[in-house]
This record gives sequence, C-alpha cells and structure tokens, in this order.
Amino acid sequence: MAEKNLEPIIKERRVFITGNEAVAWAGVAARADIMYGYPITPQNEIMHYWTRLAPKYGKGFLQTEDEISAGFATVGGVLAGKRAFTATSGPGNILMQDSMSMAEMMRIPTVMIITQRGGPSTATVIYSQQETTLTCFGGNGEGIRIVYSTASHQELFDYTIKAFNTAWKYRFPTFVLGDGYQSKMRESLTIYDPVERGIELVPAEPFLGKGGVAGLDRPPVHLRNTYNMEDELYEVVRELVDAYNAVAHEIVEYREMETEDAEILIVAHGIVSRAAEGAVARLRKDGYKVGSFRPITLRPFPAEQLRKCADRAEKMLVVESAEGQLKKLVTDAIYGSTTPIETLFRPGESITVEEIISAVKGL
Amino acid sequence: MDKLREAYVGEYASGKSEIAINRALELHRQGRKVRLVDLDLVEPFYTLRPIKKELEDKGLEVIAWNTGEIIGLGETGTLLKPEMKWALKYGGDVILDIGYGVKGVKVINLLEGLEDERPLKVYAVINVARPMTSTVEEIVEYISTLGKVDGLINNSHLGEETDEEIINEGAYIVTKAAEKLNTPVIATTVAREFAHLVGDKDCMGNPVKILELHMKKAFW
Amino acid sequence: MAVLPPMPKLWYRETKPHKFCPGCGHPLVLKALAYAIEELGIEDRTIFGCDIGCSLLAWDFFNLDTVQTHHGRTTPVMVGIKRARPELICIAYMGDGGGYAIGSQHLVNAAVRNENIMVVLANNTVYAMTGGQMAPTTLPNQKTETTPYGRDPEKTGNPTLGPEMVAAITPDTAYVARGTVAKLGQLKSFFKKGLQRQIEGKGFSFIEVLSGCPTNWRTNAEETWNFLENEMTRYFKVGEFKVPGQVKEDKNE
Repeated sequence: MAEKNLEPIIKERRVFITGNEAVAWAGVAARADIMYGYPITPQNEIMHYWTRLAPKYGKGFLQTEDEISAGFATVGGVLAGKRAFTATSGPGNILMQDSMSMAEMMRIPTVMIITQRGGPSTATVIYSQQETTLTCFGGNGEGIRIVYSTASHQELFDYTIKAFNTAWKYRFPTFVLGDGYQSKMRESLTIYDPVERGIELVPAEPFLGKGGVAGLDRPPVHLRNTYNMEDELYEVVRELVDAYNAVAHEIVEYREMETEDAEILIVAHGIVSRAAEGAVARLRKDGYKVGSFRPITLRPFPAEQLRKCADRAEKMLVVESAEGQLKKLVTDAIYGSTTPIETLFRPGESITVEEIISAVKGL
Repeated sequence: MDKLREAYVGEYASGKSEIAINRALELHRQGRKVRLVDLDLVEPFYTLRPIKKELEDKGLEVIAWNTGEIIGLGETGTLLKPEMKWALKYGGDVILDIGYGVKGVKVINLLEGLEDERPLKVYAVINVARPMTSTVEEIVEYISTLGKVDGLINNSHLGEETDEEIINEGAYIVTKAAEKLNTPVIATTVAREFAHLVGDKDCMGNPVKILELHMKKAFW
Repeated sequence: MAVLPPMPKLWYRETKPHKFCPGCGHPLVLKALAYAIEELGIEDRTIFGCDIGCSLLAWDFFNLDTVQTHHGRTTPVMVGIKRARPELICIAYMGDGGGYAIGSQHLVNAAVRNENIMVVLANNTVYAMTGGQMAPTTLPNQKTETTPYGRDPEKTGNPTLGPEMVAAITPDTAYVARGTVAKLGQLKSFFKKGLQRQIEGKGFSFIEVLSGCPTNWRTNAEETWNFLENEMTRYFKVGEFKVPGQVKEDKNE
C-alpha cells in the first residue's frame, strides 16, 4: 500500500517535465482534494499524472461520462467544501460552460484548467488561442469569472496553485488558460510546497453539509440559480457584477516590457507573449522603440494599465493565435484611445519571434 | 554479425525518442542497416513523425506515420501502423522507440517475431529531474512496473539549464537503482551542448554518450 | 391560532404551503421521502439536490441542505458531492425529462458505476413546467402539446422504462424500484430500502415514482387517479426490480 501522505510536502527542486504534469503537481501542491475529468487531447496527461499521484497523497479522482458531468461533479465537489478541479479543452470546454455558468451564478469557486486546441469544432488537438472568448464569456451571463492566461511551465504551476486561492478567496469560478503547446512542451521549472514558501492557502469550506441538524440547530441551506421576475434577477446579477467589479483591481495582473518609451506596443497573451517579448528584446538591440504588454488576467482585464501604455505609443500591434479574440478585449479596454491598432492573427497556428519582428518592421 | 534488436522505454518526456534516434544513427554510421520504429501509442505529440523524412535522408529506415497521413491524431487515438506489427521481421538492426504509459513494455506484444532467436534488449531511460523518477526508490518502483528491462540509461538533465550537478546526481542515483535492480547502467547520455561538462565516463564510471538533439522540432 | 395540517418534521415550515399545483404528485413523493429520512434518522447528513422542471420547486422544501442545479445535471452534482464527502447521504430529485432525456447519460453512467447515491425520478408522462410537451414517458396515443394527435410510437418511440433499464445495468448490490403516489406506504418503504443501501455504502438506488399532473393532464380528481392507477400502470409496472441479496431464478434452466 502506498503511504497516504495527507499533508503533501513537495520537496522544492528544479524538474524537467511537461506542462500537463506541472498542473497535476500544482494540484497536489495546492492541496486540491479531488479532480473530475473526461479524456480529451491535449489535456490527458493532467489526468494521467493526477491519477498516478492521487493515491499517494490521499486524493480523489473520478472519470465521468462526459465533460458536462465532469463540470457539474466539480461543482458538487466544491459545494461539499472540497478543493475540486477539472481540466478540459476545445469541445469539452464548450460542454463545461453549462456547469461554469451555474458556478458564476452561485459563486461556486471551481477551478478549471483549459488546454486550448484548434477550433472551431473538433479541428486539431494541437494548439490555438481560440478559446479565449469562450473561457472569458462562455456562459449565458456576464463573464463573472477569473481567467489567468499562462505563458510557461513555471506559470502553469504557480497559477494553478494561485487559482485555488483566488477562487476560494473571492468565490468566483477561476480558470487557468493554457494551450496545447504549454501542455506538451518540456521545460524546467521549480516545483515547491507553497506552504513552505509562506504562501497562505485559503481554506475551503462547505456550502452544503455544514453539520448539525438543519432546521433544528440552524436554518437549512437552500441554494438556487432560478428566479422569477426580471427585477429580481436584475438585483441578483447587479450584486454579482458589483461584487466582481469591487475586487477586480485586486485580481488583475499584467506584465509590461520596455513600454516607457515604446512607440510601438505589442499586445499578446499566453504563450504568444513569449514570442512578443523575444521580439522586443531583439528589436531593441536593433534600435526599434518597441515594448510589449501582456494581460495575465484576461478576466478581469487590466484595462487602465493597458490604456496608459496604449496612449503613450504611436501604434499597437495585437498578436494572437486566433482571429481577433484578444483584440476584442483590447479595443473594449482602450475605447476612445486614438492609437491605431494593427494585427497579426494566426488562428490555430503558432507565432514565432521572427514573424513578430517582421510584422513590426512592416508597420 | 548479429543483428541487434533494442527497445527504449521510459517515463513521459524522459528522452526515449532522442536516445533511440541517436542509437539508430550510431549504428548506421558503423555501416549497419538500421530500422527505427515509432511505437509511441499514448502521446500524439513529440514523436518521430515530424522528423521522419529528415531521418530517412540520413539513411535510416523509419516506420512511423506521416503526420498528414491520418486525420485527427489524438482524437481518433494513436493508431498502430500495419508495418509496425512486422517491424521485427527485418534483416538489419531494429530500434524500437516505445512511448510512456502504464502498459510499459507490453506494447511489444503487438509485434510479430518476438520468439525469434535474437533477443530484444529493453533499456529504460531515466531523467532524475523528473519528479516521479527522482530517487533510487522511485526508480526501482517504476522499473518494476515496466516488465523486462535489460539496462538503465541515465539521461538526467534540466533542458537548457543542465549543469554538471544534475548529470552527476543522475549518474549516482541511476547507478544505485541499477545495483538494487541487479541490472547494468548502459550509459549516461548528455546533449552535445553540455558534453564539456563530462568526460568519457561519468562520476560513477559509466560510459558517456553524446546526443545530437533532433526532437526539438518534432512537436507535431 | 391556526392549526397546521399534519406534515413531516422534515418539511420546512417557512415555505409551506408549498407551490405545487393542487393534486400534484410531487408533494406526495416528498412526503414519503421525508418520512423515510426521518425514520432512518439521517436528517443531519442528508443533502437534497433538485433539477429543473417542477422538481425545482422543491429547492426550499425541506429542512435539508439543498441545491437546485441545471436541467438534467442533478445526478452529476450529487455524484460530485458524494465522491468528495462520502459521509453525506445524497439524493438527486428530478422529473422524467431530467432523468430520461436531457440527463439520461448521467443516470445510465451513475448506475453503471454503482455510485453511492439515490436518484428519485417523478414520472408524470409530461414536461409539466414548460407547458405539457411530450416526455420520454408519454404513453402511446397520449396527447400533449407536441403530440397534438397523440404520441405515435412509430415516430417517437415507446415510453422509457427506466427502472427496467437501470436494473439491467446495475450490479446486484443496487436497489431499483418503481413506486406510485397511490401507495405511499409502499413508496416510503422503497425509499427506506434505497437509502439503507447508501447508508451501508453499497451503491446506487433508483426509484421512479408514478406521479399525477392534473394541471397538464387537464383531469379532475377521479380522472387523475384513474390515469395514474389504471392507465399508467398498464405500461409502468409498480414494484421492485432489483433487491440486493435476492437472487433471481434462471427460468431457462
């Protein structure tokens, strides 16, 4: 029998693994209790490695009948007061929006890892940034959710841990938006025990099954997502949106590179931002006044911060492996800015440093 | 001259394919006929497919799908190409690149000709920078799940951050694990870029083999 | 002082009188269920989940921690809770649409996996809350808003036989029955047997309940009970379909 190590201590060290493995290890590090999932490429190794690790750390796993079930079972796990998570991609991401919309309405702190693949439809299992809109606004509502877009294995590890904390602190469904490249690439990173690093883990608590006899020791908990009147719903949604907006400034994260005097500002997220930053470094050596802005949170979006950089620049270049999904977020954020926006869109295809350099030189 | 039959197995992203390719090319340089077979049935990424042509141009016979040849890899499953089933029936050396997975070496059960008089040697590739094979105990446990293994290869590295420490740590741990498993350490492998960090032998006296890296461009 | 009609202690007084239509079967199902829970003494750890459709009106019905989910998704939510907190007793409550149509994959797979939860499904042969459309359990020739000339099995198939199906796909430790609101004592005993399975950690229980919907059937009391007791039972046999420990005789021996 494997020893049940209920208080996992991951020895801090450099390791050489794939992004999907980094997520599974981060789940252990974040003291996640249970994962619910359904096979889909390129997400599979998150489950492969979670199921290898789970029994060693006394954790749970359930392979469900589809992504609808995996999403709702994750909702159930969280309602029961556990740090529950799921992971999916592409068509699975579509199916999980059903449950994530319930999580938005009821402020259920689910954690979901998305490994973007090509779309629309079944498309490819490889890579894209085409699930940006879906992940940010996939429900039949207002996108009351938090989305971290990672760019490296270290970030997959760091932000998966952070996602549990953010979710349970603010009580909004939280997403880690990766992609097939990040899932499958091999990179070195440091895995660590967040507790040993002094990172406080926000405790989970049950929504249901709170103990005592309901109706005798305490009132029963009755949770719903159905309402009758439009004004009644308006109040509910208003409250959700206000609560979200009130904490958005605490949640937003972004990264700037050489933006102070940048005449050309490249905007990219996720793994494409690595190419953007690589391009900035090389273009700067050649004397180009170029900078880059990377939203790390796509929901909430670092609008004010981007706007400041955009207003200083003479031109912007939005680069993404999708046909304008990031650009929609950008134009919404900087509405009124007169800085012209050029684009480099490659839906479903990777973008290299060289391609960005040549796009900048062609501006 | 006896024809060699070797299979390379190991944990996910441990470097099996890279080592299999280098071994095949090494044998080819010795003037031998070599066939390299992609038997990774779990992972649709980082396989021999994308560099099949390049390897064939170098003189190897490569049995692998062409990426464009089948639709929906990773969606339809990883398919066994009929030629793979007969891969061992060959007049030259055969190198099998076996993917990771809980079934370990059992994938060779899919091949015809195992009962042949020439033994199939199975070598396990270990990178101690991978957290599930980072200690002697973990390696011993892992190898015992694989089935028959004829030797270990220390391929410990940290990608671009590889240093002498990780190579030596790997050599030490893998050698200790091999002692417990009563199996030899075939080699320590080091990428060309880091060859200067070691000599002909690693710190435990195992032979060192230098790897030319081919898999970086083999994503899909 | 107003005198309260007799009702189970488990019924949450603040939300009574309930919102179900006069003559509706749901409150009868929920009464039998309440007594079963009380008699087993599991009020302190029972979680109730309800679906969309009329079953959602039960969202504040009990002195039980309750969650109302999405249409068809109550089963996976309760599975998720049970897997995360096995000490809780989880009951998924739904209608025929939620269990046999939009959520049928969840019912089938929870049953196959022998999930340690209880699913209670009220079968009233119609989609009631959306205005009386055809349900998977609508009887042949029965008129609904989407079968205005009567259900034609040639075109729309035959009514779903849920317990028969679940009995066929569950292991021997499961409990499967079909009760009716016309026999509340029997129904309560079915619920108790199902819950007992879960208490003992032995697996899945599924209880379909034949339930009246006079509002959508447009029937008076006599016609309602006639349809429920005579018409429906001709197609849907009441009784136990799988009882743990009861070995079925092989008639072909």
